[in-house]
Amino acid sequence: MSSDQDHLRETDSEKRFEFKKEQSSAFQAEKGELDEETIRLISEDKDEPEWMLERRLRALRQFHAMPMPTDWPGQPDLSEVDVEEIVPYIRPDVEMRGGVDDWNELPEEIKDTFDKLGIPEAEKNALSGVGAQYESEVVYQNMQERWEEKGVIFCNMDKAVQEHPEIVKEYFMTKCVPPSDNKFAALHGAIWSGGSFVYVPEDVTVEMPVQAYFRMNSEGMGQFEHTLIIAEENSEVHYIEGCSAPKYSKFNLHSGGVEVFVKENAHVQYSTVQNWSKNTYNLNTKRAICESEGTMEWISGSMGSKATMLYPSTILKGRGATDNHITIAFAGEGQNIDTGAKVYHNAPRTKSTIESKSISKDGGRTNYRGLVHISDGAENSSTSVECDALMFDNESTSDTMPYMEIEESKVDVAHEATVGKIGDEDVFYLQSRGLDDDDAKQMIVAGFIEPITEELPIEYAVELNRLIELEMEGSLG
Amino acid sequence: MSAQIHANLTEEQVREISEGLDEPEWLLDERLDALAALDGLDMPDVIRTPGRNWTNLYNLDFENLVDPLNAAEEKDQVGPEEVEVLSIAEALAEHEDLVREHFGSIIDPTENYLTALQTALFSTGTVVFVPDGVDAEDVTVRTRMNSRSLFNYTLVVTGESSSVTILERQTTGDEIDGERYYSGLVEIAAGENSNVQYGSLQNVDEETYTYTLKRGHADTYATVNWIEGNVGSRLTKSSVETRLLGEGSESKIVGAFFGHDDQHFDVASRVWHEAEHTTADLVTRGVLDDEARSVYEGVQDVGREAWNTSSYQRENTLMLSDESEADASPKLIINNHDTEASHSATVGQVDQQDLFYMTSRGVSPRAARNMLVEGFFVPVLDEIAVEEFRDDLDDLVAARLRE
Repeated sequence: MSSDQDHLRETDSEKRFEFKKEQSSAFQAEKGELDEETIRLISEDKDEPEWMLERRLRALRQFHAMPMPTDWPGQPDLSEVDVEEIVPYIRPDVEMRGGVDDWNELPEEIKDTFDKLGIPEAEKNALSGVGAQYESEVVYQNMQERWEEKGVIFCNMDKAVQEHPEIVKEYFMTKCVPPSDNKFAALHGAIWSGGSFVYVPEDVTVEMPVQAYFRMNSEGMGQFEHTLIIAEENSEVHYIEGCSAPKYSKFNLHSGGVEVFVKENAHVQYSTVQNWSKNTYNLNTKRAICESEGTMEWISGSMGSKATMLYPSTILKGRGATDNHITIAFAGEGQNIDTGAKVYHNAPRTKSTIESKSISKDGGRTNYRGLVHISDGAENSSTSVECDALMFDNESTSDTMPYMEIEESKVDVAHEATVGKIGDEDVFYLQSRGLDDDDAKQMIVAGFIEPITEELPIEYAVELNRLIELEMEGSLG
Repeated sequence: MSAQIHANLTEEQVREISEGLDEPEWLLDERLDALAALDGLDMPDVIRTPGRNWTNLYNLDFENLVDPLNAAEEKDQVGPEEVEVLSIAEALAEHEDLVREHFGSIIDPTENYLTALQTALFSTGTVVFVPDGVDAEDVTVRTRMNSRSLFNYTLVVTGESSSVTILERQTTGDEIDGERYYSGLVEIAAGENSNVQYGSLQNVDEETYTYTLKRGHADTYATVNWIEGNVGSRLTKSSVETRLLGEGSESKIVGAFFGHDDQHFDVASRVWHEAEHTTADLVTRGVLDDEARSVYEGVQDVGREAWNTSSYQRENTLMLSDESEADASPKLIINNHDTEASHSATVGQVDQQDLFYMTSRGVSPRAARNMLVEGFFVPVLDEIAVEEFRDDLDDLVAARLRE
């Protein structure tokens, strides 16, 4: 067992995820003022070019014109989400705009926060680069020199607007996630802040994962980071994001936007371990466009939040493109995790697989909501969807709602789902070998989610397992 | 969005239909209530993903499709002696209390716009009463529709420890200019430990829109098995449903459809597990050719109190043409963890290797394809216990393949 694992085990859960910090910020947009003026203030504070301000304002108009999603069958209740109550923007008090690249230059309280989360540890040991966002701004960003020399760019999104305007102008919320996609994408387009920009040039393989960590620390705030990943032809990159926030009595809103461009024969893996506090509404839009022979992989673990509505989607645009989804959701008391995957097969010989696992416990509710669309002309495409739900008790709920739209006959489509309770026999067997009831169940769950954990770097796999253990002990608030 | 399509429907028309059947006051009241409710009712639910209704019933021109006072049909309703197979009028004359007890108790007349429309306007129907302990086979109901619209109501009530097999067929007769509309509601109240097998084979002409909703309530240890075959029609919206209300009750829903040209099938199988130790098995197979389209929804809903549930669902669609489209949504809604549930769905084309193998043995490609399509339906045909029904469905499939 590695030292990281020991490190994570030794850290007390409450301390790691639930600690709060006194608020101190340099600029804070007032809540309840989601109008043009607020958008202009945010844009001005960021010293943005005119075109970005224009995009924000257009998105704001779209946001106000669109209705809340209310009529999806079995969707989480969003009636509490009053966007006017959200503090849309908080710039923490960091001297250097765009963050610092030496960990020690961070203000003590922010550094302390991320130390507790184990971010520097992870970076030292396994990552090519790391970024950390605190509230609305990225406060720390570092990329190992050897990747920079090859032309790899990893910086925060605000900096990318300043330094790589041509690329950002072309890709930012234009082709992949337009603000018109849904109400929260429009909101995101208006008040986005922070996030990551990753650019991998042709023929470059970034062998170690790049990581970003997002932390919400203030009560009643929204976090709206934007992630834009462009992997040019024949390149390869693995991006990992993690997120957490302490629990406050009021609700928080997380409405990020992720856009991934996988060019010909490129390979992008996007891994998320989401552990928002249980008052957070997590309403994200994530999408990838995959060119011919490209491969997109989404690996997600959704543990936290009060309600999540998130369906990472991939458009398989080029011949022979591939998409793989592996997702796991864990819903405990009071949680409603509505998640799944969407894949559009728009070219011949495209392939997708979706593997979804969910665990519900203590009245929690998980829902797999998926869509596989095979367009006319996407011949010889194949898809397979597998959903497994594990339920712990009779108060919990688990639904599976896959949708399949098939417009092409030369295809191979398969969907399978199973639901079952945790096997009494398995528990008994483990108990008879000396494990107590809790340990036995944890071991069964660890086995159940293994397909996910084995795709993640060891730190993340350990974190995911640890989070599930904590969920099962009921020790996470 | 509520539907606004009944501008030409009046209370007088409803009274005239009711008088023609010499109905008691309470049934007229049911009709008038349904008519009055129309205004506020929506079309039946269809599968919906954000921004898209997979079947658009609001586009249908009901004002022209519905011709309330000119319904005409040929009806053939027979059964063995020990079972009562009655027309609606006969049933009201002989067993008014039984009809009154069950009418509208399984399908709420105001469940949606189309159930209310049917309740207000139905003019033909069949009531089947199976006394306690009676085993009956071969109850046959044939309805040939000879008018622009037809509203057909069926009620089946089975006594304790009885069993019955009912075969229903819908076809169209006299040529009608333009499109027409067939509506059928079926309510089954399966008494304790009784066994109902209800098969339906729809083969109306391809100018006809059909809406059918069939629902059964299964009492303790009762079994309600459905077979739902859809071959004809321009657009079919059909739902076959069982509520497992009694301990140890069971249901099997077997579906088959075969679409060609621009036919549209929206078929649903739904089962609600609402008691302990209940079992359900949903099996559907469909074939699509030309520009035909299918929308399939399968729901297995396991209630909070449904301990020890077993629930299975399979749906397979075979696509013979590039222009066809198949949509599927098998849903699991699970509220009790003491459940073993699974569903699977596949869409694919005729297996090229099988085809190659057969053609290399001298079978023409067309004949080989037809054999493989017929073979595809075999697992569904195997589930049908009644030989006559199996043969009929098989014949319809073969006839379509020869076209």
